[in-house]
This record gives sequence, structure tokens and C-alpha cells, in this order.
Amino acid sequence: METMLRALNPLYLAREDATRTGLAWTVHLAPQALQGAARVFLDAGLHLEDICGLDVKEGLCIVYHFDGMEAFSRVEVRVMVPHDAPEVSSIAAVYAGAEWHERETADFYGVVFTGNPNPAPLLMPEGMQGYPLCKEPSARASLAATCATEGRGAEVLHSEDGFTLLDAPAPAPGAKQEKPARKPKEAADDA
Amino acid sequence: MRDPEARQGTPTGDGYTCRFEQGAREGTLILNMGPQHPSTHGVLRVLLELDGEYIVRAEPVLGYLHRMHEKMGEVKAAGQFMPNMGRVDYLHALAWNWAYAGAVERLADIKVPERAEYLRVIVTELNRISSHLLWWGAYLLDLGAFTPIMYAFDDREKLLDILQIPTGSRLTYSYFRFGGVYADVPDSFTQRIREFIPHMRSRLPMYKALVTDNMILRHRIEDVGIIPEEMCVRYGATGPVVRGAGVPYDVRRAEPYGIYDRFDFDIPVHTECCSMARYMVRIDEMEQSLRIVEQAVAQLPAGDHVNAKAPKPTGKLPAGETYFAVEGARGKIGVWLVSDGGKTPYRVKLRAPGFSNLHLFAECARGTLLADAVAILGSLDMVIPEIDR
Repeated sequence: METMLRALNPLYLAREDATRTGLAWTVHLAPQALQGAARVFLDAGLHLEDICGLDVKEGLCIVYHFDGMEAFSRVEVRVMVPHDAPEVSSIAAVYAGAEWHERETADFYGVVFTGNPNPAPLLMPEGMQGYPLCKEPSARASLAATCATEGRGAEVLHSEDGFTLLDAPAPAPGAKQEKPARKPKEAADDA
Repeated sequence: MRDPEARQGTPTGDGYTCRFEQGAREGTLILNMGPQHPSTHGVLRVLLELDGEYIVRAEPVLGYLHRMHEKMGEVKAAGQFMPNMGRVDYLHALAWNWAYAGAVERLADIKVPERAEYLRVIVTELNRISSHLLWWGAYLLDLGAFTPIMYAFDDREKLLDILQIPTGSRLTYSYFRFGGVYADVPDSFTQRIREFIPHMRSRLPMYKALVTDNMILRHRIEDVGIIPEEMCVRYGATGPVVRGAGVPYDVRRAEPYGIYDRFDFDIPVHTECCSMARYMVRIDEMEQSLRIVEQAVAQLPAGDHVNAKAPKPTGKLPAGETYFAVEGARGKIGVWLVSDGGKTPYRVKLRAPGFSNLHLFAECARGTLLADAVAILGSLDMVIPEIDR
């Protein structure tokens, strides 16, 4: 699995602690590397669990979950696209099941999946204005505020030079979320 | 039949029909099955292109029951979102309870007391049986057999009476709490389960003799709707669909959660890939759920039903992300929970098994008879609110 993931030329690759995150691996890919990665995953027998979005300060993060049927090996693949041009190539030619997940993500976030065989709205009415899960710019958190590597037991295997999306955020005044990600009891009790 | 030339003129129907018509062959008929067709169980619409009685193309059209649960998850405190879970899939509500509670507990590192772990298993497995019973009755109703659903509802009623004792509801359960369950159970609960297990075991052979071995049913669903393993992988189909294709994939084994690793049970697998195989998987699973419940009731320890130190349901979650999967009656349920440490979760993604299972219908139905479409759709055990979320 590790060799396979390294061969995808990821921007970032980490082995996760499944007891804490439910994930086995996290991979950041450049948008153009996605289709090739999907083909590798299909050849390895992984199935597609879901595709969804995450609206963060740095852009729209498109998240793919794959898992194996023979052994647990959930891979979270993240692809970051800019807010003003959220576009990524479709993987429906590889994983037929991606078609609906991509249409749903297009409905919720306005992401354009180039090459989707049927890019009609799936769950939203046709002609609807706006995207329900996009956040107001002021409400956006940084990716590192939610998914930072630190404090979740992840072992970083590769990080491209200049890849800083997941570095622990610098403490900002008055922001509780800037605490290290894993201080469960205290953080949860202070409500 | 509509004049093929009419397709060249002013389009009729909505955007989905218009687009679907454009790829149609000459001399075929475009038919909208649903969204108010009795065999689509809720409001599923399937666009069909028919050549005589044969399906040339099919396209499910979703969204009629879409409620944007994922948005609700972002605007409510974590605990306030729990009642939504019973409304996502009303037939196996407790599995969805578990998926969401599990995600929160994993993120916030909340421990669950032993007794609560056992109660979770008991109610979730009973709920799985009640889901399979309703599917069984409704599927046979779709296929033209009226009587079985009467038997199924008789047994299901007993289950709902039992589940009502701790949960207080009969369908849209909201029984799980972060760190345990809502209420402890009285002795009458375990007593009634002990009575129910032999009763159900006496019914299953009758169902086999009455329905499963019936030649009319077998001719109707055997070798119909072939879904091989390769197709399941491409679509992400799980649950009885993939186990009917010979793959022993079950989240309770592949990624054990709760205390499922303590019980002795089998993962029923059938290799024929047809509607009958999926039918048999669900029938066999009822006995396996009974086995699990039997063991769990026998081992049920005394103690707390909820972790008293668990954070308040309206409390903040720590920042981070977590994925939690459980085995629902229809397959792998997944909750991807992302928190930035704020008052409400930052993102709640709900992975519904029915969504992926239904998607492959278009490919699977190609070239089959229209009447078989009903046999195939029913064999996928759809719950439309779960698919649309």
C-alpha cells in the first residue's frame, strides 16, 4: 500500500492512526494526478466510498474516500482547487460510481468535474442559485484548523517542499480552535 | 407509443426527460417509472428507454426526498443533530445513530461503558431484523405476493414493541447518546427478547417453506439482475449486494466497531450475483443477528448505560476529523465528521449505502425486461430518504 501511494507522486502522504481518525492513509494530490491515482486504486481492488467537499480558507478541498474489501485500508485523497475556478477532472470513467458523487458535490459546492458523463443536478432543483454547503468567507476555517497533522498520531511519510497546508496554525488571538487538535476532554467540556 | 418524430419537435417533460430523450434510438419508448410508482418505495423516479418490453437505457432521477441533512449537521450542535439520524434511514435508524455517535466519540475520545456497548449491539441487531423483515414483505408485495408482508409485519410488530421499551419510539429511533445510550432497560426488555428469539427461529423455516422455496418466486428472481463483484467495486456497492456477489465484506468484521469482535457469528455469502442471492443473504442474516442478540443478552453486564463524564450534547467538539463506518442493513454507512473546534461541526458527510447500491441499477438493468426492473430494484433494498438524504 505504501509503495503504491508513494508512486502516485503525492504532495503529502501520511499513515494515520485509525483508532483516532478512522483513516489508514491521507494523501494530497495535484488535480492532474487524480485520474491516474483512481486507476491505480481500481487496479488494487479498492472501492470508492464517497466524494465530498470541504470549504476552507485556502480553497475548496475535494475529498475522496477509498477502502479495500479484503483488508481495511481507507485512503483519504484530498485535492485542493481554488474558489474562483473549482475544477477537477472526473474519475467516473474509472469508477462508474463516481458519477453521482461528483454530481452531488457539484450541487453542494459548484465544483466542475470535467468529463462527468451526465453533469445534471442530482439532488438540487435545476436552475437553483447558490451552493448550500459553501461557507461565507468569514466563516471559513483553514484546512490546518480542522485536519492538521499534529496531534492525531499521523506519521508523515512524504511532504513536498512548499506544502504547508497542514502545518499547525499559528496561534491567533482569541481563537479556541487554534489549540492542538487533540485535547479531547478539556476542549469538549468547556462548552 | 409516442411518435419518434415528436422527439425532434418541442420537448416535453422536464430537463431530465428532455436530455434523456436526446440519446434515444429510433422506435423506442421513453417511460417515466415513478416518482409515484408503488414499487419504488418512496419517491424514486427512473427514466426508461424501452424497446418493446426490454430496457435499452435507464436513469434514476433523485432528489424528491432530499432534505439536506448535511447542512443541518453544520448548523446544529453535535447532539442536536442526533434525531436527524433516524430520519435518514428510517428502517435501520439505530445503525445511523451508531455511525454518528461513533464519529463524535472517536473525535472527542469519549469512552462507552460496557453495558451500553451491549445494549447498542442488541438494539441495532434487532433493528436489522426488523429492517430485513420489512424489506422481505415489501419485496414480495412488489413481485405480486400479498400474504408474506402480513406475516412479516406480525413479527416486526413484536420487534417494535421490544424496541419501544428503551427507545420510546417505533421507527425513527434516537436512542444513542455520546458515551452510551439514552435509557437503561428494564428486565422485561431482556425477557421479551428471550421469548422472541425462539419464536423467530420457528418462523424462519416456515418462511422458507412458504416463500423462499416457492417456484414462482424462484423463476421470478433467479438469474435476474446480475451484479458481479467487479461491478460492486466500481460503484462502491456494499452490504447484501456485495455479499450476494460472493464477497464476504461486512464492516462488523472488516473494521470492527463497538464490541462486535466478541461475538460468534457468520457473514452469509452467496455467489450467484442475482436477485435471489441478495434475497438469500438477507434471509440468512436474520438468523445471524439472532445469534448475536442471543449472546449479547446472555452476557449483558450490569453497570451504567451512559458515560456520566461524557460532554454535554450541545458542547463543542475538539478540532479534527474522523471517519466512522458501521454495517447497516443496506451496507456500509459512513460518517465523515470535521470540526474546527467551533459550536457546531464544520462538516458532516453522510455516506449512504443505498446511494451507491442504486447507482448501479442503470448498468445492471440494461437489456432486461421491464418487469425485471421491479425485481432488481427491490433486490437492492432501497430506502429513498437515505439515498437522497
